[in-house]
Amino acid sequence: MWLPIFGLLVGITLGLLTDIKISAEYANYLSIAILAALDTLVGGIRAHLQNIYDEKVFVSGFFFNIILAASLAFLGVHLGVDLYLAAVFAFGVRLFQNIAVIRRVMLTKWSLFKEKTEKN
Amino acid sequence: MKWKWNRYLVAKKIHRTKESLVTLLKKRNKIAFTLIAVIIGFMVAIQYKTIKEPSIKQVRDTRDSYELRSGILKEQKVQTELVQEISNLEEKLAQYDTTRSQSKEQILSETLEELKSEAGMTEVSGKGIILTIKPIEENILLGENIPNASPELLKRLLNELYLYDAKEISINGQRIITTSVIRDINGQTKIDGKSVSRGSIEVRVLAKDAKKLKERIQVSPTIDNFYVDNYEVTISNPLDKVTLPSYQNSLNIQYMEPIDE
Repeated sequence: MWLPIFGLLVGITLGLLTDIKISAEYANYLSIAILAALDTLVGGIRAHLQNIYDEKVFVSGFFFNIILAASLAFLGVHLGVDLYLAAVFAFGVRLFQNIAVIRRVMLTKWSLFKEKTEKN
Repeated sequence: MKWKWNRYLVAKKIHRTKESLVTLLKKRNKIAFTLIAVIIGFMVAIQYKTIKEPSIKQVRDTRDSYELRSGILKEQKVQTELVQEISNLEEKLAQYDTTRSQSKEQILSETLEELKSEAGMTEVSGKGIILTIKPIEENILLGENIPNASPELLKRLLNELYLYDAKEISINGQRIITTSVIRDINGQTKIDGKSVSRGSIEVRVLAKDAKKLKERIQVSPTIDNFYVDNYEVTISNPLDKVTLPSYQNSLNIQYMEPIDE
């Protein structure tokens, strides 16, 4: 539970400490990639809570989603269609759904835990 | 009993291996999760930085016209300062040059020359006109007595000429200077002690604008006054070169004395 959060903090500090900057043209792609990564992460957490977690699916989904989102944005820029909006929409909807599922699972777990403690 | 115990042990072993397997799997899961969390954190941080601190190129692009103007102003100030410095240095150089070339003696002699020419001690030439004052011939034929050209009239003429921007004047080869006197001595008109001939009198005048001088003197009443005295004044056209002789007498300074320093 705490290790991934620690990893997140490590990643943020690393990013802030290093002097890497991305030019404005590629900031769009990075934002889409971040959205895809967040979606994958939340999806992974949900799968973990539902006990259907598969590492292969998770890791492959992470990279595949990022690449797909970035390439979709790229294609959109070159076709003059705001295709990145599709990615934003899809990932956004999924993000919310996943978070909702996580909330429900947590709620049921919590109520079960409460019942157990009451029985004891 | 023993058999049961064995079964229990086997079951326990199996359970343990299962547990260790699960923990192992969980650990591996956690590692992958952590790695991906690190990547996500890194990306987020970079994106945050990119948005918060735009690149240098963008900074240049976002400068508005006022900022650009102030920048130009700054550069212009620097430029003016540099130009001023250059001119100052050049001035100094010129000063050194002049001080080297113009020693005190040279300056003194130059000033002396200037003063001499101003006082009328040198021959001068330039643009000007020549006035010729002659007795009217018809009257001579009629046997009228020709009087001297009266000094009053001559003085009047000179004053008028000076009034009309005449610079230098000579009468019959006699330079008129500031101390020149024209007067009647025993019925003879004399300039600086030398008599003016009864015949024609030649007045040479230097002026910057000779044409204007001629036009002005042509309509002056002094010419008519000469006519009353039986003298006729003819005025030449403006000449490009009129030469005036230098003042021949020695300057007699009576009241001026050099200051002892």
